[in-house]
Amino acid sequence: MRKLLPWFTFAAVLLSTLSALMVGAAQIDNFWGALFNPNSNEILWQIRIPRVTATLIVGAALGIAGLMAQGACNNALAEPAILGTSAGASLGAVIGILFGVVQVGSIGAILFGVIGALLATAMVFRLAALRGNLSSFSLIIIGIAVSATLTALVGLLSVMVNRADARSISFWSFGSFALVTKENLIGILITTTIGSVLAWKIAPALDRISLGDATAFHLGVDVKRSRYLALVALSILAGGAVSTIGTIAFLGLAAPHIARFIYGPTHRFLVLQSALIGSLILIVADTLARTITSPNELPIGLITSLLGAPVLIALVTVKNSVWKVQ
Amino acid sequence: MINIKELTIERAGRAIISNLSTEIPSAAITAIIGSNGSGKSTLLAAIAGDLTPISGEIKIDGVNPFSLAPKELAHLRAMSLQNQPFLMGFTVRQVIEFAGPADQVMADLELSHLAERQVTNLSGGEAQRVAIAQALAQMITNQCSTLLLDEPLSAQDVESRDRIIELLKKLAKAGATIVVVVHSSEEKISWADKVIKQSL
Repeated sequence: MRKLLPWFTFAAVLLSTLSALMVGAAQIDNFWGALFNPNSNEILWQIRIPRVTATLIVGAALGIAGLMAQGACNNALAEPAILGTSAGASLGAVIGILFGVVQVGSIGAILFGVIGALLATAMVFRLAALRGNLSSFSLIIIGIAVSATLTALVGLLSVMVNRADARSISFWSFGSFALVTKENLIGILITTTIGSVLAWKIAPALDRISLGDATAFHLGVDVKRSRYLALVALSILAGGAVSTIGTIAFLGLAAPHIARFIYGPTHRFLVLQSALIGSLILIVADTLARTITSPNELPIGLITSLLGAPVLIALVTVKNSVWKVQ
Repeated sequence: MINIKELTIERAGRAIISNLSTEIPSAAITAIIGSNGSGKSTLLAAIAGDLTPISGEIKIDGVNPFSLAPKELAHLRAMSLQNQPFLMGFTVRQVIEFAGPADQVMADLELSHLAERQVTNLSGGEAQRVAIAQALAQMITNQCSTLLLDEPLSAQDVESRDRIIELLKKLAKAGATIVVVVHSSEEKISWADKVIKQSL
């Protein structure tokens, strides 16, 4: 039975993807016929398929990003939003867009987002380690403070410069797939692929780092290098996603925890499962966000929190030996 | 064999080990003893390559541990900590297999019945034996001849303690250099071939 569990996640993603393609403000006649005939139906092929594909890619990216954050910090609370990575990505993209260098969703904006994410994450780690050893406490507190500061800067910049293409503070804070186009998919696909390969490569080192830095070192792991690579993977994944669709709360925290509670702590396996669960939560959330109050849309970040939080609470309450808190 | 020459280690500006020179023989068990805060674990950590000395030199089988990358160092020595943190729910078998094959070392340390139990659900003594088993698996896989153990007996009952000592004696007889930190001020430790006393 346990061996079949990963297939359930895969099947759930597949089913929710099909549901997401079927439902929406407009009815698609002869859905199956349209699905197997490219460009036969404009709504399906120009709007829903790019959007659903984007939710799958971004969900996978944020799920793995959360896993990298928790693995690199050896801390159950770490996630892109807490480490300043998401806010750094938003600020990087907003700066690029406001100065007219790049457009939302372009590869240039993703580059600005990734650089912003890297700089913000590096700053959080640098500040947290100022007084000697990197403690979980200072990492989380400084991460929250840096995130708040950078998010405030994003808000100020969005308000100060009145440009329609800069997106609103609501977009950068809660995320939205409403404006995703086919062209946007290339950038996030590239960052998600690079980040996932990097995550897969360093996953065995993260297994050993979970035993503590000293033991990982004794076993032959270059802890500093592995942690650095995990943070680079995190920044590439989160930077690409956030600069294209804004910040999606809670997913980076919930997806790896849910995967860990169901499938155990081995990081290589978790890279795949965090990606699948991230995609699953996001695709269900996006389907609900655009259908509950149709034709209006709800911010997707609200739905991810509403969906992910109860599942996480239930799993932590029932089975709490997967990640012991010291 | 481990050679230590004029070793000085400081922590937070205070000299924990000052100008220490000694030799730790191979094919023998050497115990490092001393009271709390005397620098026993600091000395072991320095030998393991965890702490860089202010001055002096350490050589394991003629090699300076600080000149090696972590992966190469893992082929020179294996080490277990006194309080190994086990935060994630890996099984006992998985944790040992991070270092090498688990079956034989689990049998040697009476852990076979716990093989599929999560390490987050172990008693102090069991967790300590898992950490030792991991170091032993690393020794076997990497063919390193130096084993460093920080207070491996502190949480063990008499039976487990005797079993671990017998195992260490067997390894020493086969040629290994074994260094064990012991929380004791008695200079006579019956099972050790050499005792290094650290004082405050």
